[in-house]
Amino acid sequence: MSTGTLVDVVMPQMGVSVSEGTITRWAKAVGDSIEADETIVEISTDKVDTEVPSPASGIIRELLAEEGETVPVNTRIAVIATGDAASEPAPAPADEPAAQATQPASPEDTETAPAPEAPAAGQPGEPPAPEAPGPGPSAQAQTQAPANGDAEGRAFVSPVVARMLAEHKLDINRIPGTGRGGRVTKKDVQAFIDSGGQAAAAPAPPPPPEVHDVPHFAPPAEPAPQPPAAPAQPAAPAAAPAPAPVVADGEQEIYQFNTIRKVIARHMRHSLDTAAHVTTVIEVDMTGVVNLRRRWKPEYQRRYGVNLTYIPFVARATIDAIGRWPWVNAEVQGESAVIKKYVNLGMAVAVDDAKGLMVPVIHRAEEKNLVGLSRSVVDLADRARTKTLTPDEMSGGTFTITNPGVFGALIGTPIIPEGQVAILDVEAIVKRPVVVTDEHGNDAIAIRSMMFLCLSYDHRLVDGAYAAQFMAQVKENLESWDENAFGL
Amino acid sequence: MAVAREAAPVESAEEVREADLDREDLIQIYRHMLITRGIEERGHILYRQGKIPGSFYTGRGNEGAAVGVATAMRVDDVGTPIQRDMGVHVARGTEPWRIFAQYMGRSGGPAAGKDGNVHMADIRLGLIAMVSHLPAMLPVATGCALAFKMRGEHRVAVGWCGDGAAARGDAHEAMNLAGVRHLPIVFIIDNNQYAYSTPNRLEYGVDHLADRAEAYGFEGVVVDGTDVLTVYREAHRAIEKAREGGGPTLLELVTLRMEGHAVHDDAFYVPRELLEAYGRKDPIERYRRWLKEQSILDEVAEDAISADVKKLLNDAVRQAEESPVPEPAALGEGVYADPEELDTPHHR
Amino acid sequence: MTTTTTTKTYLQAISDGLREEMRRDGRVFLIGEDIGVYGGAFKVTQGFLQEFGEDRVIDSPLSETAIVGSCTGAALMGMRPVCEMQFSDFVSCAFDQLVTVAAKQHYRVGTPVPIVVRLPSGGGFSGGPFHSQNPEGFFAHCPGLKIACPATPADAKGLIVQAIRDPNPVLFFEHKHLYRRIKGEVPDGEHSVELGQARLHREGSDISIITYGAMVYTAEEAAQQAEERDGTSVEIVDLRTVTPWDRQAVLESAAKTSKVIVLHEDTHTSGFGAEIAATIAEEAFEDLDGPVLRVTAPDTPVPFSPPLEKAFLPQTEDVLAAIDKLASY
Repeated sequence: MSTGTLVDVVMPQMGVSVSEGTITRWAKAVGDSIEADETIVEISTDKVDTEVPSPASGIIRELLAEEGETVPVNTRIAVIATGDAASEPAPAPADEPAAQATQPASPEDTETAPAPEAPAAGQPGEPPAPEAPGPGPSAQAQTQAPANGDAEGRAFVSPVVARMLAEHKLDINRIPGTGRGGRVTKKDVQAFIDSGGQAAAAPAPPPPPEVHDVPHFAPPAEPAPQPPAAPAQPAAPAAAPAPAPVVADGEQEIYQFNTIRKVIARHMRHSLDTAAHVTTVIEVDMTGVVNLRRRWKPEYQRRYGVNLTYIPFVARATIDAIGRWPWVNAEVQGESAVIKKYVNLGMAVAVDDAKGLMVPVIHRAEEKNLVGLSRSVVDLADRARTKTLTPDEMSGGTFTITNPGVFGALIGTPIIPEGQVAILDVEAIVKRPVVVTDEHGNDAIAIRSMMFLCLSYDHRLVDGAYAAQFMAQVKENLESWDENAFGL
Repeated sequence: MAVAREAAPVESAEEVREADLDREDLIQIYRHMLITRGIEERGHILYRQGKIPGSFYTGRGNEGAAVGVATAMRVDDVGTPIQRDMGVHVARGTEPWRIFAQYMGRSGGPAAGKDGNVHMADIRLGLIAMVSHLPAMLPVATGCALAFKMRGEHRVAVGWCGDGAAARGDAHEAMNLAGVRHLPIVFIIDNNQYAYSTPNRLEYGVDHLADRAEAYGFEGVVVDGTDVLTVYREAHRAIEKAREGGGPTLLELVTLRMEGHAVHDDAFYVPRELLEAYGRKDPIERYRRWLKEQSILDEVAEDAISADVKKLLNDAVRQAEESPVPEPAALGEGVYADPEELDTPHHR
Repeated sequence: MTTTTTTKTYLQAISDGLREEMRRDGRVFLIGEDIGVYGGAFKVTQGFLQEFGEDRVIDSPLSETAIVGSCTGAALMGMRPVCEMQFSDFVSCAFDQLVTVAAKQHYRVGTPVPIVVRLPSGGGFSGGPFHSQNPEGFFAHCPGLKIACPATPADAKGLIVQAIRDPNPVLFFEHKHLYRRIKGEVPDGEHSVELGQARLHREGSDISIITYGAMVYTAEEAAQQAEERDGTSVEIVDLRTVTPWDRQAVLESAAKTSKVIVLHEDTHTSGFGAEIAATIAEEAFEDLDGPVLRVTAPDTPVPFSPPLEKAFLPQTEDVLAAIDKLASY
């Protein structure tokens, strides 16, 4: 309390709960001399009236409070000049208002810190901004539509999920949610990460590739490393693998395989290395189906809003044939055959101006009639092209149909997707002159719409005779379309 | 219907010699009382100068009772003094500068700023720091006596409480357990006739608090607390009785609280006449007169002692003011003890 | 150095710990109501009077304040007292001595108070409001005290030994319902358990249950049922001590499973579970995949009649419901 040779006198605290005191009478005036412990002022508090002894000897330099004035405890009420200071002239009478309270808690502390800014990012409900590298096209799921569950359920992002998404630079929209309301849980994220960012057992769309330019290829349908599918590829891949060029000169361009390409390559190789690939071809007279289609197409459009194509016919015929020849709808596991009692039909779809391929899966296709299959095919194809398929819709296939015939190919030897034992190529329907025999046994040349169906199958499980008979059944189904069984 | 014995006052120097006090001891008692009062008067001024935070309590009028009992304790006896017993701290050897440092909340005080006013004690001097919830230290004192008995040590515990605190269950439980187990303890009740503003007649229903001792199976004695020699004699007797295995005693030392409960209390409820009457029985005055009458003290010696005490206290205040204020970082220290702190002889 | 173990009840383990410490250190003594001739209301100290004599096994008057206070005094004089509150519910009679004197002495003046207060706690046998409580929450709030709540016999022995050796006042809660019901392997010979270290009771990956005392067994039942039912993998962390408590173990478990249940038998509001939950929310927020749930007794006194008491005490079904809620979150 001494400032150099100036000593402050303060209002004392006479009791724990006392917060102020009143000056009742100054015992000294400015300029008077005073001894230490001599009474300098009389005060009154709500507990007691008392005299305050001077803390020092010297001359009264200033009196800072008036008689009758009440001031808070610890307020400076007087200043004593001791020693040399006693002989200095007093400053001009204080301009300070009486009882200027220089509280020990100084006023400059009162400027309040600016209110902390509300945290901007990371509100629950907003998916965190995934730092997807670069613009790559197909590899990113552009749309934000919730893939499954209600929008609200999926919209809630728990703290740990938010953190993991940020740490691993993931896009939540690529991750299926198994939590309440379709919420993406920690386990979902972890599973996604564990699967290499590709669709795994509950597959998700793969993470964006590392290279900027991911031209041409959509992410393969079931590029899963483990059990399920390798992407179903037509024998001639629709597009060249095209990661961004690393080295370019006049003579050649070199593209490093991106992740998707690597996976495809691996799966293709693995499938060929594992399954005993054999392809059998059968020729089908599709004239009846063509006529049916022509006839039903407007009705379908009108009644169901669906564009009827040939594929649903083939699908329906195939599913029925599977019913009689179930071993083509199976999986080889080691030395066991797992015969599936349901048909999850993979339907290859060309996307990206036929430079890409996806194979969405119609689950439980055996439950669908032609209308159902038509709808599914159209819907899945549309959504494949707009990249709005869910991971469930990209996985779990038990039998695959591919349709390079759409490009005019006649015959193919497709590679069987992993986890399946057969794949059916539907080739182009071509009008050709063929020999037809009428009911009397007379032969004639007729113009018929003919189509090759090519079945690649795994000879570890399926023998040639079996496969051939399966195909024969498909052929028969298509050639003698039973409108009642397979119709509207 | 009084039950306790009323102690007859010490009459002669002969009695005093029998009680094992020589001239040095008698002067020392006087000096201790002066220091005790001096500390409290000085502290009161510091408090009114704003140098001591919180509340300020004095035991003005109790100097004889406190110093008298403390003088009768042996070096390895222990005690739990309360706020009127500054004289116990002084007589047991607590340095005055540390007491001022304690008042001022400085690091050099026995509580290093963690607790204030008279909530202090140096265990190396056989003293245990009080709490506010009195008489919570009485069961603790009983526990000390229990330890002495279990170990077969010839040590005595002395537990203090006031006339108000004696109404709480802690006093009953502590005395009861001590009586049941025949422990080496002396209970001191500082009866200064007012518990804050509550007079004795509203505090207890017996004639004397010492009457309660019989209920616990031991002797109670009422003593004029303003008479330091009588206090000493009775305390000496009780302490040695306990030491010899005679069990507990309850000494009720009657004084008047000459200042408020704390110095913010002007004690308007204490009748003026009572204050005046006890003013005339001031323990230091009484004792000084007796010393002079017995030619143990003369003017010269008296002045010398006064000057010495004054210097001691001035130096003590200065030293206390130099003691550092505790750092905020020290706040969290000491909540828990470390194992290394056990098995150090924190009591000699 | 191999340690042999013996199968013992929870109660025997506590007795053994006490007995071994009393044999090892002559400064240890016992004081409480009916602990000597009667051997203690639960017979924990049966035979002790005969072995150690009435100077070290003191049948006290009915005076919780004097019991605890005299322990403080004796401890200040160098003894190692162990007192008993006949039922934990009676500790409220000694609240002042614990909170005002024992807890604050070292902080104020640097003198340690190495006392142990043994408290038979908990309900489950129609003890009613005053013989069934788990009052650890009151004392967890008081700086300067330590609190142990063992669940297994091995821990009961290890912790009573360590409590006696600790230089601070330690409240040792012995759950009465475990005394004779629970048996386990207890190391022979010297065995102590550090205060402030949790024990992984059951390892799991889907959900963590943080608990202590008798509820460890309730958690175990629920965890087993959850696993058998649908493979839900529940981890159980047994805190073993409430003050200090093993923050690190709890936060690690929270980070591992991201779904936490806090379970205790004490009542809900401001039970120690609130402290655990708040700490997890503060320090493991970004590890959470669901809210921190508390399963506790409700905010009522402990009722007497069996159906009421059953509704009061957390049951296996209550824990399962919490598991389900979190698992499907």
